[in-house]
Amino acid sequence: MRTFADFNPIAVTVWFLAVTGLAMFSSDPVIYVIALTGAVLLYVVRNGRKHHGIHLFAPVIFLITALINPLVSHNGGTVLFVMNNNPVTLEALIYGVCTAVMITAILYLFKSYSQIMTSDRLLYVFGMFSPKLALIFSMSLRYVPLFGRQAKKITASQTAMGLYKDDNIADSFRGGMRIFSVLITWALENGIITADSMTARGYGIGRRSHFSLFIFRTADVLLICLSVIFSVLTVYLTWDIEFVFYPYFKIPDAGIKNAVGYAVYGLMAVMPVFIEIREVVKWRYLRSKI
Amino acid sequence: MLLIENKRLRQTIKTAVPFVLIPVTVLLGALVFDKKMHMYVSLVTAVLSLLLFASGYEKKPVGSRRMVITAVMTALCVAGRFIPFFKPVTAITIITAIYIGGESGFLVGAMAALLSNFYFGQGPWTPFQMFAWGIMGLIAGFMAEPLKKNKAFLAVYGVIAGVGYSMIMDVWTVMWYDDGFNGGLYLTALATALPHTLMYAVSNFVFLWFMAKPFGEKLERIKIKYGV
Repeated sequence: MRTFADFNPIAVTVWFLAVTGLAMFSSDPVIYVIALTGAVLLYVVRNGRKHHGIHLFAPVIFLITALINPLVSHNGGTVLFVMNNNPVTLEALIYGVCTAVMITAILYLFKSYSQIMTSDRLLYVFGMFSPKLALIFSMSLRYVPLFGRQAKKITASQTAMGLYKDDNIADSFRGGMRIFSVLITWALENGIITADSMTARGYGIGRRSHFSLFIFRTADVLLICLSVIFSVLTVYLTWDIEFVFYPYFKIPDAGIKNAVGYAVYGLMAVMPVFIEIREVVKWRYLRSKI
Repeated sequence: MLLIENKRLRQTIKTAVPFVLIPVTVLLGALVFDKKMHMYVSLVTAVLSLLLFASGYEKKPVGSRRMVITAVMTALCVAGRFIPFFKPVTAITIITAIYIGGESGFLVGAMAALLSNFYFGQGPWTPFQMFAWGIMGLIAGFMAEPLKKNKAFLAVYGVIAGVGYSMIMDVWTVMWYDDGFNGGLYLTALATALPHTLMYAVSNFVFLWFMAKPFGEKLERIKIKYGV
């Protein structure tokens, strides 16, 4: 079983950067629609009916971003109606809808990406560029829940000592401040102990090595190569196409070449969906043989 | 793993990025590309400056104590972002910058943005947030002495930082939305963000006014006690 999330994090990141980058930096509604389709498919295939909050949140964002542009920008030749002495134009509405598609697509892509890239995966990618910053990063990650637990302990002991009343706001505020103050002192002292312990164990003597479970397999290399080749092809094949929004919306004439470009981008956008589906099919097949 | 072994190559990259690559990107963005590319240019510039900072930090002999304190402050920032309405992130960044140094301040701001966005949502805005919070810390680090002495100045700086943060982020919002900078949209964005801006400014003011001194004393104590 090797789902898309189990690919090497670097390969996943390259794919993600390629798809998001092209969607963000092109001004082509067709690319936006393809990106949105791929992003939603990936999200649904990975999550099924779980984590469906985004499906309620995304349409709201879509509507807001689509409607802001016609209300603010008054360019365009086809006036739909006049509001507060300002014309609301069809072109501005089309432009707003296109941007909204792009923003929603990016929203879904980032959601999937942050689901896939758990902190260990991110640390693996991060640690290659800067081991020191990766160390600070991982330590802070560990400190956040630790401080939460310690704050609870401090609260309990303060309450036990009778120093912590919460029958009025000023008192509970003062109590909160005291707990925060105790927490900071403890955190700093604890941090120094950690640092001394690190030094005692030889941190900083040699070059830093780190442990990770990720290796490069053929499929990872293939994913990276395909992402790079497909993005270059997409840029090359769709470079000459230009949608004009103002003053009148005009759909450019697309040839075979451009169609191939869109197809390539579409293929790249749904690659992980294929990987996921293939795994599901394989799993069903293997289970049916038992 | 992928660290560049050749010292000369590393040095070349380190001088090339700030003195050649960043100005070239900005100039190209202004002169050659059309408005469409402005967002791209600003994103690349933000990422390049973050990378530059990372490489500088990587080369410096930083004591493990200083690193751990930076991590502690970052974690406090991240935890603080969960407090409803009052956000102490900028305040803690500024305090760190004043007492530990501008570089640590930059790191705390940038790392807190990156880390807390795991809870609050990552997006293309993350590099900007990292940059915005980092730069507040870095500037505070340059003015450490006057900020330490004058409480009123510190509080005013907090308010400016709060408003400035909102303004930087709105530039990004507008550029992302409209492929280039649109004055009318920017004003609208600023107006819609006004409650947030006020909240940032007020919470920075409150936190810096009440916490800067006790917080600073704790940091000073640690510095004297352990010689960070």
